[in-house]
Amino acid sequence: MRRRIDLLDEHYAVTVLGQPGEQYLQVADGETQPVVFNVGADCHGSIQLGDQRADIQMATKGETAYIRAFERTFTLRIVDPVEQAAQEAGGSTNTARAPMPGTVVEVEVAVGEAVSKGQPMITIESMKILMVITATRDGEVSHVHFAPGDTFDKNADLVTLKEKKEEE
Amino acid sequence: MANITKVLIANRGEIACRILRSLGQLNIPSVMVYHPVDADSPAVGMAAEAVKIDGPTPVAAYLDVEQIIGACKQTGADAIHPGFGFLAENAKFARRLGEERIAFIGPLPETIKLMGNKVAARTFCIENDFPLAPSVAEADAGKDFAEHAREIGLPLLIKAAAGGGGKGMHIVRDIKDLTQSIQLAKGEALRAFGSDEVYAERYVEQSRHIEVQVLADHHGNVLHLGERECSIQRRFQKIIEESPAPGLPPRLRERLCATAVVITQKAGYRNAGTVEFILTPDGEFYFLEMNTRLQVEHPVTEMVTGLDLVELQIRVARGETLPLKQEQVKIEGHAIELRLYAEDPENDFLPATGPLLVYRMPAGKAVRVENGFAEGMTVSSAFDPMLAKLIVYGSNRGQAIERGLSALKDTLVLGVTTNADYLARILSHPAYGCGQVHTGFIPQHAKDLRSPPLGEEERNLLLAAAALSNRGFIDPAFQVPEPYRFLGNWRN
Repeated sequence: MRRRIDLLDEHYAVTVLGQPGEQYLQVADGETQPVVFNVGADCHGSIQLGDQRADIQMATKGETAYIRAFERTFTLRIVDPVEQAAQEAGGSTNTARAPMPGTVVEVEVAVGEAVSKGQPMITIESMKILMVITATRDGEVSHVHFAPGDTFDKNADLVTLKEKKEEE
Repeated sequence: MANITKVLIANRGEIACRILRSLGQLNIPSVMVYHPVDADSPAVGMAAEAVKIDGPTPVAAYLDVEQIIGACKQTGADAIHPGFGFLAENAKFARRLGEERIAFIGPLPETIKLMGNKVAARTFCIENDFPLAPSVAEADAGKDFAEHAREIGLPLLIKAAAGGGGKGMHIVRDIKDLTQSIQLAKGEALRAFGSDEVYAERYVEQSRHIEVQVLADHHGNVLHLGERECSIQRRFQKIIEESPAPGLPPRLRERLCATAVVITQKAGYRNAGTVEFILTPDGEFYFLEMNTRLQVEHPVTEMVTGLDLVELQIRVARGETLPLKQEQVKIEGHAIELRLYAEDPENDFLPATGPLLVYRMPAGKAVRVENGFAEGMTVSSAFDPMLAKLIVYGSNRGQAIERGLSALKDTLVLGVTTNADYLARILSHPAYGCGQVHTGFIPQHAKDLRSPPLGEEERNLLLAAAALSNRGFIDPAFQVPEPYRFLGNWRN
């Protein structure tokens, strides 16, 4: 079975072959290597891939895995094929997303308004920290997803742009 | 003076647990107020009684003076400990409690008012000749504020007059950012403190933030409990504090502490407080502000003095004389506090939220853990993102650092991004090791403090672990063995 896994903002195609007890794993088009995975109820465990091995601490929830290893803590997302298809079809640079969960303080642009790169579009607040979300490129506002006072989660779409209307 | 027989804690989280512990030791019954989002929190479980409070937001509930007074009347609590944040520095609240004959465990309302407005505190210092950094208040300069601020020279710090906790603070290094920074600071100040009054102060590069713990009773006695070094900050908020301050010449330490005591006396201060100073690289110091409450980092002082500050606060509030004299205050060993935050150091320290799937705190004799969360709880954006504080003690600084690293290794939080690994990188940094700390430490060493790069082999091991822990990933036709089922079903 092949799926996409996201780690540190990169996408990786990962294939698992074989059955429990004798499994093989391939990352992208790399070498297919035997893999042994074992994590106990105390979250401590190990992963071995080919001749590489690491002790890890790990928990999962839904399609997300949280792993502490190599003196860091990582979040890995296994992307559902349906979601992957939607993302690939959508194209994403048109939409300003929330870098943190929070509340909308002020919306500075309106649908149909032309914006230029760097122009403030929406002010958000999370735990008393204000942040101004600016346009990443020139364009026209096609959708403002929230009104002042609305709350949103991290990565929520805030403002969507479309190409600017041609000058007549 | 007040006879304190039952104390209500107008707070939540780790500080509520901390206060409850001292109340337990003093055999004083306790009452918690709590918003429903905190119903399962350790503090509510620890308290003898708990009263539910509501509000349009969870924070609003903890700021609702009338509901809190109502909870006192309902339970017969005759005193309130405000902790820090929320109503701790609200003079109106302290005054209201006085009218209701409920003891406020803290200073007098007029002192809170004086020190709570940083512009008023600044005027107080000017009148008393206490050392101050060059500054200008919007209230004095009016329309010409930006102009006057410019005249102080760069870099500048724009601060909220009613501020605290690093909120509403903006540093200006380029004059063209001045107007926008003033606007942002005013906006944050208004939302955080209900007043958009700001002032501008000269920002001293490479300076240290050193503060002095003071304690005053109602009989004219004022003590200092030594200093705390609080320079390791991000977004103007401390993340590591220690006591004593490393490398501080004894004469300078004496002058700092003596100045703090005089400020405390002149302000007519009562109870526990903190006088904050900026120490320049030339060894000059300026009054920064006075915090009229228990500080987040008070445990480092407790570790090196052996005193219980909450107990002393309650004794003072009861009208007792301070049980010790200055010469009886002994500073021994070294203590470091590490603040564990739900935030992402790789992404500008932005707050993180999520479920605490795994939440394990270190233990041991030289480690004190102040914690308000438990496994299974969710970290929401409703409150400040601090999860816990790890305070380590050593006979010297080197040993305290070693123990800090070992405590962080034993800390495991999965499900929410935290700064645990980042704190370990600070402790391991050679500049921190030799005490070369200043408020610009984090930006200065940003490169060194970044996560170690992830090699291809390490990366593939992570991908493998994620893939093999995921039920949907493995062909669903296969039998699912025990460990995967366990992992995949976590808290569904």
